[in-house]
Amino acid sequence: MTRKHPSDLPQPGADKPSRGQTTVRVILAVGGGLALVVLGSLVVDFGLAPSWLTGQKAARSTAAADGEGEKAKLFTPPDESAIPDDEFGQSVRRGMAIFLDTGTNAHDFVGNDLSCSNCHLDAGRQAYSAPMWAAYPVYPKYRSKNKMVNTMEDRIKGCFTYSMNAQASPSGGPPPYGSDVYRDLQAYFFWMSKGLPTGEKPEGAGFGKIDKPEKEPSRERGEAVFAANCAVCHGADGQGQKDINGKVVFPPLWGPRSYNWGAGMHKVDAAAAFIKHNMPLSQPGKLSTQEAWDVAAFVDSHPRPKDPRQVGDITVEDGLKKWHHSHDGFYGQTIDGVLLGTGFPQESQAAAPAAGDNSGG
Amino acid sequence: MMSDKMKQDPRLPDETFEPFEESRRIPLPVYWIAIALAIWGVIMLVETSHSTQVADKERAAQNAQDVTATAPVTAEPAAAQGHALFTANCATCHGDLGAGSTGAVPPLAKSDLVQAGGAEAVVRIALRGIDGPIAVNGVTYNGHMPNFASALDDKQLAAISSHVATSFAGAKDGIEPTKVAELRKADAGKDPWAGGAELASAITGLPAQPARPAPAPAMAATQSADVETLVKTGAGYIWACASCHGDKGQGMETTPRLAGLPAAYIAKQLHDFQQGTRFNDSMAYVAKALSEEQIQALAAHYAVMRAPSTARPSLKGDLARGEQIAREGDWSIGVPACFTCHGPSGFGVAPDFPALAAQHPAYTARQLAMWAGGSRHNSPLGLMAGIGKALNDVDRRAVADYLASLAPVPATPKTELAAIDASIPVSEGDAQ
Ligand code: HEC
Ligand code: HEC
Ligand code: HEC
Ligand code: HEC
Ligand code: HEC
Repeated sequence: MTRKHPSDLPQPGADKPSRGQTTVRVILAVGGGLALVVLGSLVVDFGLAPSWLTGQKAARSTAAADGEGEKAKLFTPPDESAIPDDEFGQSVRRGMAIFLDTGTNAHDFVGNDLSCSNCHLDAGRQAYSAPMWAAYPVYPKYRSKNKMVNTMEDRIKGCFTYSMNAQASPSGGPPPYGSDVYRDLQAYFFWMSKGLPTGEKPEGAGFGKIDKPEKEPSRERGEAVFAANCAVCHGADGQGQKDINGKVVFPPLWGPRSYNWGAGMHKVDAAAAFIKHNMPLSQPGKLSTQEAWDVAAFVDSHPRPKDPRQVGDITVEDGLKKWHHSHDGFYGQTIDGVLLGTGFPQESQAAAPAAGDNSGG
Repeated sequence: MMSDKMKQDPRLPDETFEPFEESRRIPLPVYWIAIALAIWGVIMLVETSHSTQVADKERAAQNAQDVTATAPVTAEPAAAQGHALFTANCATCHGDLGAGSTGAVPPLAKSDLVQAGGAEAVVRIALRGIDGPIAVNGVTYNGHMPNFASALDDKQLAAISSHVATSFAGAKDGIEPTKVAELRKADAGKDPWAGGAELASAITGLPAQPARPAPAPAMAATQSADVETLVKTGAGYIWACASCHGDKGQGMETTPRLAGLPAAYIAKQLHDFQQGTRFNDSMAYVAKALSEEQIQALAAHYAVMRAPSTARPSLKGDLARGEQIAREGDWSIGVPACFTCHGPSGFGVAPDFPALAAQHPAYTARQLAMWAGGSRHNSPLGLMAGIGKALNDVDRRAVADYLASLAPVPATPKTELAAIDASIPVSEGDAQ
């Protein structure tokens, strides 16, 4: 408590403060009160108040690790309710349905238990999970990976070929060029990107950056991270979980029903960035950079369907030289006595993807 | 120093000098805080009354909408209502476009079964649910379709079924609520349809159906007399579960529905109450007296129980907002769809993710608030703490009310319980 200096105390005899003094005090009191309210609301607005006080979670950037202020710059795609009620809108809705339940709505071209939205979260809207609004405006684009200009259709085809393991699908491959699947997906992406300039890569594109790990990623440490942070959803064996009717709820991370050895996610750096910014679901940024790399190494060093380019008498050794020499992955290594990259025997030996399709998606 | 000086100052009143105490001024900061608090109080009052007003208005609008459903089903608003009700209740499994889900849920769009049976077949299916193999467009499914008798009234069922039959299967006519009422009376209290075979025997003209599987041998041992007693009459320090959770495990208000929760989840909660990692006076008392054997037996008992829903939206929550949070999430506040973890229709995913469908809204909202405040903190990885905190009170009431409007879990048959708790059987080969 601040104590007043004696001289501030009323003098004996001056028993009532003068009217002027009272007015000044009222002004000071009200002014100060208002100032406190303003100050308080500023503190709350800027998210400086602790959450127990406000009862609200301070708005957090999904890429928590990438610092503050980024959220403000992120594009917000339109709400589902803004899909128009016409023929174009119907195509957008079909595209969205394909994106959310690919195995049902593009049934003939899916060879595993995944859907597009398993890796591109919130129906392809979530920043740093390679959102579709950030992709649409930058295609067609040249990709040094397959040394050609890729249209959006080429790009989607890549994700069908590898991430959706189309080689094991009923049709044995991705949707053919010109398929309605591409038409509807592109309508959905186009609708979602409304208002973004073309040719400029927006903030939030791709999986975001992740720093290099301090220590070489380790499968052993990764296994512990997995058991503690992932197994409750993806299962102790990484095979995901289904609901009472057999509908996939938590997708498999490896094994015959997951993405194949040509998918972008099989690269440890891509998986580490995805995991850092998106997993455990609802707790992005929870893992340290090192933990994200370690668990990515653990996930990506398990058997999965073979690289679909590896047909005929192409061996894993050839594949390693041809497609897998320049990046971060376990293809061609022998882990726990198993040579990775050979795939699973029951896979259909369908035709190789056409020339020009290269790793991605 | 200072205080010395003060003591010496002759002008200072001594302790006996009373009158001066009265006119001692209250320090300015005290005024500041008092005024600030008053202003803040008024703001909060205005805000809360505003949000209750908004909720009231929406509720009124909703009621008005319900009234419009009395109009004949062929009228335009009913069709729109049928669509909205389909999205809220059926699309979680059958898909927004009625395409079903490969290997799990049959399609409604162009379904030969719906085409043959019309809106009446849809109503009869929704009133009882289905368990067991059913063939749709030549593909056999073997899933569990919930029973909507307790979740939807006659008008709502008429609107949905008319919508399904006319817009997905090309039927000319819908069905009237009065007809639904008749069917409801005829089918009251019956078990789910035993697959397509039983359906085909009741409704003529359906496409060929797979044979009914031989009834599973009764599992006599699962239901020991001990459990019956615990549930119904209690034993010593263990109060009868039914006295609070209801005779069918249906719960009420802030006492949760237990029927159909995963057995492993129930057992975990009882352990948590026992060990104090989840706190509730009554449950701590009850759980501490339970043996491990009794816990496992009670968990199994409630997991296979079927009970109609007694939950109704009652918190004046905005159901459309609740549906949005549950089905799509609100990623701008970091909340994924509740159904990404709790399963497509809020039926849970054993062993760790409990069912939310048909849970009492007061209980759901209260648990969310407890996570936000930290008084419940037993979810794996702290998953629910973040979600509880991210939602504000209005959102918590909205989502709790929506979840309360859903059909209850089709409980897992006893024979499947062991398999389900270990891992869900994959029905890969038998669907398109
Ligand atoms: C197993 C995870 C996975 C699945 C499933 C998946 N993708 Fe991808 N997708 C990726 C990865 C990895 C990338 C590369 C991201 C990057 O370059 O940062 C990618 C990139 C893309 C891109 C380009 C993004 C950009 O910014 O250039 C598009 C478009 C795309 N995917 C569409 C799809 C569609 C459509 C589907 C469903 C048919 C799908 N994806 C399924 C992992 C996946
Ligand atoms: C709370 C449950 C949960 C936890 C915990 C969790 N995930 Fe996921 N994960 C999901 C869900 C759900 C998806 C699909 C996203 C969607 O559909 O919204 C997913 C998708 C993924 C994917 C892309 C899809 C695929 O199958 O390859 C990867 C990779 C992944 N998670 C890795 C991890 C890792 C590594 C961890 C641990 C650090 C982890 N997850 C923890 C729920 C979880
Ligand atoms: C929890 C998921 C789920 C929900 C929610 C659900 N269903 Fe079903 N439905 C199923 C499953 C699974 C089957 C197949 C049952 C079987 O295999 O025995 C089915 C079968 C059907 C069938 C017969 C087969 C067909 O496809 O023609 C109809 C008609 C039907 N449901 C209508 C509805 C309606 C109307 C609603 C909403 C009021 C609804 N369902 C909600 C899962 C669901
Ligand atoms: C005195 C009333 C009362 C009795 C008797 C009682 N319960 Fe409870 N139970 C409650 C309440 C209230 C809650 C909710 C606790 C909370 O709010 O966290 C609860 C919660 C539970 C939960 C957690 C459910 C969930 O969804 O998380 C389980 C499991 C449970 N009770 C089982 C039992 C069993 C088994 C018995 C009998 C042995 C029993 N209860 C007897 C009042 C009771
Ligand atoms: C990231 C995964 C995840 C998401 C998303 C999620 N939950 Fe949960 N929830 C859990 C887990 C795990 C538990 C089990 C907690 C335990 O074991 O005590 C749980 C438990 C609950 C319970 C307690 C049930 C009971 O019977 O006591 C409620 C209520 C609940 N969640 C509501 C919600 C709502 C509402 C949403 C959407 C806003 C939601 N959850 C989203 C993971 C999730």
